[in-house]
Amino acid sequence: MTLELHDESDLLATLARKNAVLQAINRIFHEALGATSEEALGRLCLAVAEDVTGAEFSFMAEMTPTGDKLHDLAISDRAWAVFHRMWPGLGPETLPTHLDLHGLYGRVIHDDASLIANDAPRHPDAIGTPHGHPPLASFLGVPLHRQGRLVGVIGLGNRPGGFREIDRLAVEELAPAIVQALYSKRAELALRESEEMRRVSIELVPAILWRTDGAGHNKMSNSQWAELTGQSEDEIAAWGWLDAVHPDDRAGAEQAFRRSYSNGEPLERQMRIRGREGAYRWFLMRQAPMRDAESSVTHWFGAATDVHDLHLLEERQRRLVAELQHRVRNILTVVRSVFARTADTGGALEDVADHFRGRLDALARTQAIVTQTASGHVDLENLIRDELLSVGVADGEALSLSGPDVPLPPRAAEAIGLAVHELAINAVKYGALKVPGAALEIVWSTDVADDGTRGVHLTWAERGVPVIAISPNRQGFGTELICEALPYQYGAQTQLAFAGGGVRCSIAMPLHEEGNTF
Amino acid sequence: MEDEYFIASDLKRVLQAEGVEVVGPVGRLADALAIIERERVDVALLDVNLGSAMSFPVAERLQALGVPFLFLTGYDAWTLPEPLRNVPLLAKPFDSDAVIAAVHALCGMEEVR
Repeated sequence: MTLELHDESDLLATLARKNAVLQAINRIFHEALGATSEEALGRLCLAVAEDVTGAEFSFMAEMTPTGDKLHDLAISDRAWAVFHRMWPGLGPETLPTHLDLHGLYGRVIHDDASLIANDAPRHPDAIGTPHGHPPLASFLGVPLHRQGRLVGVIGLGNRPGGFREIDRLAVEELAPAIVQALYSKRAELALRESEEMRRVSIELVPAILWRTDGAGHNKMSNSQWAELTGQSEDEIAAWGWLDAVHPDDRAGAEQAFRRSYSNGEPLERQMRIRGREGAYRWFLMRQAPMRDAESSVTHWFGAATDVHDLHLLEERQRRLVAELQHRVRNILTVVRSVFARTADTGGALEDVADHFRGRLDALARTQAIVTQTASGHVDLENLIRDELLSVGVADGEALSLSGPDVPLPPRAAEAIGLAVHELAINAVKYGALKVPGAALEIVWSTDVADDGTRGVHLTWAERGVPVIAISPNRQGFGTELICEALPYQYGAQTQLAFAGGGVRCSIAMPLHEEGNTF
Repeated sequence: MEDEYFIASDLKRVLQAEGVEVVGPVGRLADALAIIERERVDVALLDVNLGSAMSFPVAERLQALGVPFLFLTGYDAWTLPEPLRNVPLLAKPFDSDAVIAAVHALCGMEEVR
């Protein structure tokens, strides 16, 4: 600022100007507190500058990062009022951007110097005014600096009588305050937005978050812990949060956390946590240290995620795997056993292979059916028909099946499937399904025993089969299955006779609903 | 103790061929528990999964009575409850020689005690 000490009136004028500027700066910072946007604050700064200088309208613009264009920061209220007379509908939302660096304001930027042009239209840099802009009579432009760099320009127009040196000085004195106010507001708004984003995203994260100091004290948590457990901030602050942990998990949890705090190692552990209603759910608790520049731990940050459903699924999966191993090994042992018996009865290799293949197929069939139906139950009639079909027997005059719908649980299905297979093979090779004119009648019914268990009763009756010597090879396995295995393994009562006329077999099997590990 | 007939029957035959007197086989918990109370059992072979139940109650009773036994099973050790994890295990499908050897070993153990 230069003091032009011409005479007393100049001094007074200078004092008056400085006073006005100080008051203006005061006003800017006072209003800045309440401004809700950069643009609103900009308009206020321009109003203040207009008041100090007497200009009719004004604007402010900021250079782009590339330095080749200007974006308008604000256009004064008085300027908008003028525009609206010509262009109703224009408003602060439609601030021009990407202005070229030309015209009088471009000159200010180019020279990085203030400019007064009181005969604006005739200034060599004049480019005229945009459509709808009132004609520019006089112009005052002052560059805006921040931290020593040129960042933009403030331009005022049409002071009645033209702009004077003292106006230039006044605006140059205001400029730093305007820049500071605007940039502070910008930073404040950016911080507020980022805080808001952080707050919202924390609440969205499906985890309970907390923080403690370096020693594990003064635990603080977001609202989700309180919502889950009903515990207050005070309750959780020391080690009170442990109260919400399941008693069986508590000691281990405390030990793990204390160990983590003392050796600075991150922690990951599952434990049950009690909800407000009193029910426990499995949570995965994790925490990690935050370190300062010297690698000392300053805070611990932790998160707890509900993994209850996952936990149950994992347990179920473990049981499934164990169950599967058991089943597979059992079945292999049974197959080996069946093979040994088939081979033991002697006979040509072809026959052995044939018998064994048939039995293996029967085993495979029942396994397949059992796993295919959703309930694991097999309809008895379907089972019988499947077995008959597998030995090449379809409905016909020689065959009659009758009985109610009976859904068989898996074990019973297995047993009856194998038994029917043996009976069918035997009938096809030597019995009613081979001899012309012979007949086979399969009948079944259900009943309820004294103790309430349901049972199924199946009879297989062949007629018209001449008495012939039945191959003992065949007889061995099938007989053992029906007469020994079914009673031993399934609690069935069975009878098997090779009477005149053909095979007669009766199987009475209880149908227990099998406890499902699956 | 085994619920699968063919496996049980094969085991019985293997043991009998070696001169072992077989009590059973049985496939149900109740039957097994009755036998060990009623008769003097030197050695027991237990399947873990009996279809409708696990054989753990029998195993625990045998431990209490001091009767040596092993699990002949399709399960791995990690599936067994803690107190039973040190019981000798033979995997299925079983090897006859392995079964005989294991039974001898278990009987030998009894002598030492």
